Amino acid sequence: MVVGALALTGCGDSGGGDGTVRIAFQGPLSGDNVALGENMQNGVKLAIDQANAKGDLGFELEYVASDDQGLPDKATAAAQKVIDDESVVAVVGPAFSGATNTASPLYAEAGLVTVSPSATNPTLTDPKNNFTSLLRGVPNDSQQGAGMATYYAKKLKAKKVYLIDDKTDYGAGLAGVAEKGLKAAGIEVLRKSVPQKTPDYSATAKDVVNSKSDALIYAGYYQDAAPFAKKLKEAGYKGAAISGDGTNDVKFVELAGDASENWFLTCPCTDATVEAGTKKFSADYQKAFNRAPGTYSAESYDITNMIIEQLRAAKGGVEREPLRDALAKASYKGLTKTFSFDENGEFKGTDVYLYQVKGGKIAYQGNINQLAG
Amino acid sequence: MSLQEFWDYLVLGVMLGSLYAVIAIGYTLVYGVLQLINFAHSEVFMLGAYGSLIVLQLLDPGDNPSALASIGFVALAMAGSALFGGVTAYGLEKVAYRPLRRRGAPRLIFLITAIGASFFLYNLAGKLFGRDPMTLPEMYDNHDVFSVFGAGVNITQVLQFLTAVVMMVGLDLLVNRTKLGKGIRAVAQDAEVASLMGVDIDRVISRTFVIGGVLGGVAGFLFANLNQVSYTMGFIPGITAFAAAVVGGIGNIRGAMAGGVLIGVVETMTVPLLGDEWRSVSAMVVLILVLMFRPMGILGKQVGRAA
Amino acid sequence: MSAVETSVKDVASAASRLRRTAWYRQPRFTRLWAMVALGVLLALVTGEQGNTRDIFFSLEGSLTGPNLWVCLALTVGVWALREFASTPIKGAVDQAKAAVGRPGGALRDRLQGDQRLRWGLIGLALVLALVVPSMLSRTWQTVLVDQIAIFALLAIGLNVVIGWAGLLDLGFFAFFAVGAYSTAFWTGRLPVEPPMVLNPFWVIPIAVVTCLVTGLLLGAPTLRLRGDYLAIVTLGFHEIIYLVAKNADGVTGGPQGARLIPDFSFDFAGIEYTWSIKPLPYWYLLVFFIVLVIVLFSRLEHSRVGRAWTAIREDEIAAAANGVDTVRFKLMAFAIGASTSGVAGVIFTSKYGYINPEVFPLLQSILILAYVIFGGMGSIPGVLMGAAALVWLPEALKDYVDASDRYMYLGALLVIMMIYRPQGIWPSRRRQRELKMAEEGLGDADAMSEPAGGKA
Repeated sequence: MVVGALALTGCGDSGGGDGTVRIAFQGPLSGDNVALGENMQNGVKLAIDQANAKGDLGFELEYVASDDQGLPDKATAAAQKVIDDESVVAVVGPAFSGATNTASPLYAEAGLVTVSPSATNPTLTDPKNNFTSLLRGVPNDSQQGAGMATYYAKKLKAKKVYLIDDKTDYGAGLAGVAEKGLKAAGIEVLRKSVPQKTPDYSATAKDVVNSKSDALIYAGYYQDAAPFAKKLKEAGYKGAAISGDGTNDVKFVELAGDASENWFLTCPCTDATVEAGTKKFSADYQKAFNRAPGTYSAESYDITNMIIEQLRAAKGGVEREPLRDALAKASYKGLTKTFSFDENGEFKGTDVYLYQVKGGKIAYQGNINQLAG
Repeated sequence: MSLQEFWDYLVLGVMLGSLYAVIAIGYTLVYGVLQLINFAHSEVFMLGAYGSLIVLQLLDPGDNPSALASIGFVALAMAGSALFGGVTAYGLEKVAYRPLRRRGAPRLIFLITAIGASFFLYNLAGKLFGRDPMTLPEMYDNHDVFSVFGAGVNITQVLQFLTAVVMMVGLDLLVNRTKLGKGIRAVAQDAEVASLMGVDIDRVISRTFVIGGVLGGVAGFLFANLNQVSYTMGFIPGITAFAAAVVGGIGNIRGAMAGGVLIGVVETMTVPLLGDEWRSVSAMVVLILVLMFRPMGILGKQVGRAA
Repeated sequence: MSAVETSVKDVASAASRLRRTAWYRQPRFTRLWAMVALGVLLALVTGEQGNTRDIFFSLEGSLTGPNLWVCLALTVGVWALREFASTPIKGAVDQAKAAVGRPGGALRDRLQGDQRLRWGLIGLALVLALVVPSMLSRTWQTVLVDQIAIFALLAIGLNVVIGWAGLLDLGFFAFFAVGAYSTAFWTGRLPVEPPMVLNPFWVIPIAVVTCLVTGLLLGAPTLRLRGDYLAIVTLGFHEIIYLVAKNADGVTGGPQGARLIPDFSFDFAGIEYTWSIKPLPYWYLLVFFIVLVIVLFSRLEHSRVGRAWTAIREDEIAAAANGVDTVRFKLMAFAIGASTSGVAGVIFTSKYGYINPEVFPLLQSILILAYVIFGGMGSIPGVLMGAAALVWLPEALKDYVDASDRYMYLGALLVIMMIYRPQGIWPSRRRQRELKMAEEGLGDADAMSEPAGGKA
């Protein structure tokens, strides 16, 4: 059995003959979602460069990119390319749930561990899939959705909530959980879908105002939340607004300007602006890539560091399957949160924290359940 | 839907529709003279938006510009977008289409060239300007200025509507009153005969592209002002506006205006009735229905000849 | 007398002055400006990646660095060579062309003439198709099966619609989605329960029928539209199918898609076999379907039906006047193409085991059209090559350029190819003749189009 597995992966020696060990990233590096892919890629690159600069690994770490455009149909070739490169010992990604669905059987067959920083579809960790080498490095959306619902129900005592998803895996999942929570609390919910890249948000904003809702949940990413927030302000919406970690990003405030003021944002990540480590990360990132870190940059950075920590512990004797098993059992405290996984590779739950945009800054409020009381 | 809500959405729809109309004219003009679906027009539109963004970033309007300064910024941004749109369209005609036209290539070849050019341009824009969306710096404080049937109209919408109307009226005059317009109509009716009558076809076509490009570029600015700027922003409005041009009767300038407004209103009305996610579906259903009953579009052919 | 002479001279010189163009407008220099502009564009294309923090970053980098000078030197060099050394180069190029073209042309002629040779080559191609993939790396096997073979099957289907019947279909990929969702439905993986759960093999005939019916439903009211109108209607149809897949969560699973769709398997006369995630078995399955479809379609091409399609493509009105039932034959082409697309969808879905709406964007319909034209529409080897080349290219480019720039190069390639070789890689003979006639102004290349813009 072991021999068979080794023959399959072709990974007998310690990761390639020339002493280099590679960490790959699989995600959208072309097509419509490049911005997100680049955020993650840079996080991975930064972690690898820092580890090499430190020089205590005893071997050289290299970065490999594999572009799947975020599409299920392109993901198999992208994954196979990574698998065929024998010096790759771990993969950060795949970034999107659809791509994860088609790539994971291949990774499972090769015993090559993949830790996704962003694939949130709850069904991915269903044991029926047999995705044995997939670890989810991001909480699926149930805690956030539930947190939003509790906060609206208990703290703000909302009566009618306008709930929007953006027709992505992420948005639909988050909105689904929030809807359940709100309904359980006896709140009237208007569930709507506004797909990404809608050309004009004016009509939607008007609909929100006309519905006389006193609170709003936007389950989606900042690229679309920003123009929507602007139109909401123009339409004269006065109620509360909340969004999840896809929007919890400085770029949301930059793009939406004043309109983002008072928006609530949730995140499973702890206070990102206070901790010294995060500040240093932002500064390093800015220096290396001439731009600020974006959505999932810090998560990818954390996951890469988690992998590097395991490599360091293995002292160079790295093979794919032992690394996979070690990572599955590991617990790692990163900048954003503590990473550990249950037996299906699901992220072990963390608390959800609430932020609010105040004076053009995303200000930390506290643990959402404690705030709700 | 109450009556008040109906007016609200109608006003929003007409505003959006006026924007579609301006883009649709770009398609229709080129179709008129070349019988060509200029798939790359959506990239002209996108680059126009970047033109205005570049101008505004260079000028940097600051926090609270005075009313006069606001007008200046808007005018300059619009000029920047017109320049970018015009230059892109000119280059497109010169590089991609003219060699094909010279050898009388069939339109299918033009279509593939247009698709290739569109791929090239939007990926190049993503490479040059970055792939995250951006917003235009604020040029004025947007607020409601008056109301129509109780529906508030804000400055952005006034700007959008006025610009669209001015451009459409100007274009109508240009096509119907000037020498260039006569040339355009002549080429649209029969290029060969027009050339025998002494019309410089190359020049007329080139200028038609530039006019379409200027309109597309300015539409890009208006759209960026309404939403945001990104390298993939052209595709969806481009397809919608093309549908609008066909609904109105492709090749027919007034038809493009009518089609644009119709599609804008249909899309906007879909939001309260069916939900945002169905807006493109209803636009396409209207397109198919119109073509089933009026195969040449609402207003039919005017500038071009039968397809 | 002399006064008259001088005045005549004056007029003549004035006229010649009028006729003289400024130096910078002479053709040689306009060509130079064009090459300079091309050089700048090349510098931008090969320059650094920009970012949104500073939108001038990339522009500045590529317009001030040494890269610009290299690009300019290159393009201006090409200009200089063409202007000042054109005769020897042209001679050499012509010779080279003749040297390559003559045996190539001769081979083609022999192929068309000699049946035995033709069958021999087809047999050889088939043997190569069966043997070569097992020697490739697993990555290229995956590309070959998951992308190239699927798109080859699609291209053959679209070739019937556009290459033979001349219908401009911009919604071809929608039928692929219909096939894919049929598979998910009949294997019980959609939120709605099927009457019974089937093996993917049995879904193929069902998908064919479903796509035929869908194709007829769409085609019947719209096929009287011509050319560009048909294009926009089919495009709208694709958009509708895509959005329904995305929005009708209760039926299609919405953005979350359908997963755990079973692989092909059979259990017949004691022989059991299940296709797994290994690429090769699926490759043989796909080769079987591709060959089957090619055999069926090439029999059609040379039958009465194929001749009717050609007549419709070349001149629909004349065809109708000669008693061809144009509507029926157009519908037939449309439906046949649609069902091929559906079969490809079934195989795709079963191979991947998962679909979501993002597999079926409008872009795919546009791309597949580009593959067919690029390869040479109307010719089966041509469209196979077109699909293979254009699907392979972005995958191969991964190793050489920034991933995000790949489609920029693909776009540029499409434009260049259409300018210099509009008939495609391996055009059909008939198509080549049509294009040539169109160039000479003797007729139209397609029923859907007279040459654009007339002749300058």
